[in-house]
Amino acid sequence: MLLEKVCLFAAAAVLLVGMTAAFAQTPKGFGGTAQCGTCHDEISKAFEKNPHHVVDTDKHLGHAGFACETCHGPGAKHADSLSAADIRNPAKLSPDEQNKLCLTCHRNESTPVGRIAGGHPEGGPGCVGCHSIHGTDHRPLVVHASADVNKMCAACHQSVWADFQRPYKHRLPEGAMSCVGCHNPHGSGSETQRVAFANEPGCFRCHGEMRGPFTYEHAPVRLEGCMACHEPHGSANPRMLIRHEVRFVCLECHSNLVSNPPSAGHQTLGGTPPSFHDLRNPRYQNCTVCHVKIHGSYVDGTLLR
Amino acid sequence: MRLLLLAPLVLGVAWAQVQPAPPPATPPPPATPSTTPPAATPDQSAPAASDFPISGSVEVGYRIVPGVGGNQNVYDSTVNLGQGLRLINLDFTVSPVKSLFDHFEVQASSWGDPYDSARVEVDKNGLYRFTADYRNTAYFDFLPSFANPAASSGSLLTESSFDTHIRTSDVELDLLPGHWISPYLGWSRDSWYGSGTTDFTDFPNNYPVANSESDSTNTFRGGVQLQLPRTHVVLEGGGTTFKDDQGASDSVTENGDLTLPYFGEQLNLSGLSELYRVRGDSIYTKASIASNPWEWLSVSGTFMYADPSLTTNYTSSANGTLFLPATFAFYNSGQDMATADANMPHSSGSLTAEARPMRRLRIVEYWSTDRLHNAADSLLTEEYLTTGSTFLNTNPDTDRLVLTDNQQQLEAFYEVLPGLTVHGGERYEWGDATVRGSTLSELPLESSSLSRNTGLGGVSFRMKQTVRASADFEASSNGEAYFRTSLHNYWRLRSRAQWEFLPNWRLAGDFFELNNNNPDPSVDLHFVSRAESASLSWLPKGGHNVDVLLEYTRSNVNSNILYLDPGTLGTALSTYLENGNTATALIDLAPKAFGSFAPRFSFGGSLFTSAGSRPTDYYQPTARLSVPLAKGVLWNSEWRWYSMSERLYAFEDFRSNQLMLSLKYTR
Repeated sequence: MLLEKVCLFAAAAVLLVGMTAAFAQTPKGFGGTAQCGTCHDEISKAFEKNPHHVVDTDKHLGHAGFACETCHGPGAKHADSLSAADIRNPAKLSPDEQNKLCLTCHRNESTPVGRIAGGHPEGGPGCVGCHSIHGTDHRPLVVHASADVNKMCAACHQSVWADFQRPYKHRLPEGAMSCVGCHNPHGSGSETQRVAFANEPGCFRCHGEMRGPFTYEHAPVRLEGCMACHEPHGSANPRMLIRHEVRFVCLECHSNLVSNPPSAGHQTLGGTPPSFHDLRNPRYQNCTVCHVKIHGSYVDGTLLR
Repeated sequence: MRLLLLAPLVLGVAWAQVQPAPPPATPPPPATPSTTPPAATPDQSAPAASDFPISGSVEVGYRIVPGVGGNQNVYDSTVNLGQGLRLINLDFTVSPVKSLFDHFEVQASSWGDPYDSARVEVDKNGLYRFTADYRNTAYFDFLPSFANPAASSGSLLTESSFDTHIRTSDVELDLLPGHWISPYLGWSRDSWYGSGTTDFTDFPNNYPVANSESDSTNTFRGGVQLQLPRTHVVLEGGGTTFKDDQGASDSVTENGDLTLPYFGEQLNLSGLSELYRVRGDSIYTKASIASNPWEWLSVSGTFMYADPSLTTNYTSSANGTLFLPATFAFYNSGQDMATADANMPHSSGSLTAEARPMRRLRIVEYWSTDRLHNAADSLLTEEYLTTGSTFLNTNPDTDRLVLTDNQQQLEAFYEVLPGLTVHGGERYEWGDATVRGSTLSELPLESSSLSRNTGLGGVSFRMKQTVRASADFEASSNGEAYFRTSLHNYWRLRSRAQWEFLPNWRLAGDFFELNNNNPDPSVDLHFVSRAESASLSWLPKGGHNVDVLLEYTRSNVNSNILYLDPGTLGTALSTYLENGNTATALIDLAPKAFGSFAPRFSFGGSLFTSAGSRPTDYYQPTARLSVPLAKGVLWNSEWRWYSMSERLYAFEDFRSNQLMLSLKYTR
């Protein structure tokens, strides 16, 4: 018992000492932050208020004393020659190389707009396309005001921004929301949409009343998300619907035409016609007038209440 | 046993010793540097913080709206800007040299308008960071054509409208941000409250009634970020509380939409009281880890679990001349009571591995799974007083929604030439779902499956700082999907290009097309969505004196699908067509001749016009004149015009002319 405790203590001590020693090594070719500051005085002083300054001071991060060279690479040669060719300038790297460099430390980090799962999707800008790494006036490294964020995204995503010029849209042009309210720019595929709570669609961050779980769910909300029926960026149709009249949104799924299941061998959901409604009657031209709980009902399987 | 536990520790020491502490030297910059747009830089025109610790600006103005021509309700549903005093923008930063904080920043915008927001950020570099966000959005919706597409014929039978507010708040405190260990605490809240008009449906009639809604969700979270050499871990736990109180009421006699007598009786609703009381809570756990064990490999994974549940109490009391299909009799008074519970454990996970076996080759493997199971039960008790008797019914019920979705994607990226990268791969999605069967179905539950193989490909190209282009393509065929309208035989193309053909001149364009078909004879889906955009920007000398941005987008949606007309039980074709044109322009001029006191004149705006199923024209031109009155004081005059016209629903057209006069002070 005593032997185990001694061994445990010894191992912990070795671990602590060993890792400290490993972190304390100053590798060959590196000059250190102080040396950078002798020429880059203005940047050096401002860097003390930069969020990245902690890299220079926190020994546990493994780069203490040479924060500049963490991103710019070994600088001793550059310090001797004073040649720009002898130092790496991350802003001039390709987006892929920029991402690789920044993600060395930042991959997986939790940010206000979601987890950093990777760089911007392929073909997009690298990290410094949006972030000002040397932001020096106490501002964070990226703009925060909604209007500024939207302007930055719209510079590349023109057709998406055009959707917001339609009459029914989320209020981004007014600056009431920003693109990163729904999208996580740090990732690709399914990770580009932000999530609410643990793993709910990001729409529920604001529309919490549709989150459920409902006693009677409307399956598309869970299976295909809000975009099964809505155009979240903007639409000419009221309530950002994908069709000009509600009945077509519903009936395109709620149709059980004869050959579907037997011939295809694959059953789609919601196929049975809901009821015998005369669509010529205005009463039945908007299904949601009666089926008011279309996103899910607490008490009624037909979503009428 | 404990000795075995020491092994990883000893290995950890050895591993730490062999790893170089600084980041590994990366290859020298490539011959073709990035052509990414310039980094967003904060406004440098503000006075230096060292001169005075407070800097920022405040803009207060008064909006004049002479009147809204046309349909005021539709104007409120789309624009909703009114007359009056407004705090247009407030933005100030306090940056003391030595204090409990390095940086205290407050931003607020549009106070007095239907959508206002505020943000507070306080931090001490490396010690803490506190942020608080607040947003309030007024959400008004009263569009007769939405509730009743036949409204143009004078029929205003059905109604659906609301006048509500959505408020969201988010507060987070990060301790030791950037350090190897950084705990954080947060609280979020969203609420929705307001009133409106909805329908109370009581077969075979429905009646417009007043309703009110008030719900709120509070989320509490706490976690820690661990940043170790080559490894980053985030652990978070939290919980939510939810409440939703809704009600509908009516105290005047309504004949409803069924205007003709029903079996000789004129149905009506003379009183209604309907109440929902819903309460719920949830706990959740999130964990993620990312590691770069070697220079050529990075691995990351996430796991998320939530377990929300809700309890519902519902009561309804209706009076009038109403019909009860179960007994085929009329009744004068009825009460419904229901209780229900729903519980939906939901777990998700993903795993990503990114390998770079060669300098020019990158291989990414991604796998994810998402599983949820909603189990609900309810008990509905109905009591109706018919002529001379009482009808009592108790109806217990259960419901299920079970979903399992998985995805696996393998993609390789290869840099063929400096600046030219091609990529290709494959994505496979599979899953199954079980949901409630339709009303007319004999089965309580129905199931379906998802199986889709998708091929991926693309290319990206960069040349110096002047040209950047990319294209991504994916295609799939003969898959299985959950719904008739889901992606079936489809292909999707996105491409984007930018060209700085002269200094300060940039031409950009993008193209998108989604083509989806389902050849099943009972579906016969043909869907095409296409958008092409082009933009031209000119910013000589950083845009200080001239800033020009012109954009044009042409979009097209064409969808055809068969459906079953529930009235005739015959086959019908649902066609949706939209040809849209959108143009935006912003031209900003500040003549050099006036020096630093130059007035700025901006004009432009946007227009959207579409033809097809719902032809719409929506114009938003604007012009703005800014005149410096003194150092740091700016007089702004902004004119805006909003105009919407719909050819099929001309009674919803509106136009509004408005002027905002404001003073902005900057220091």
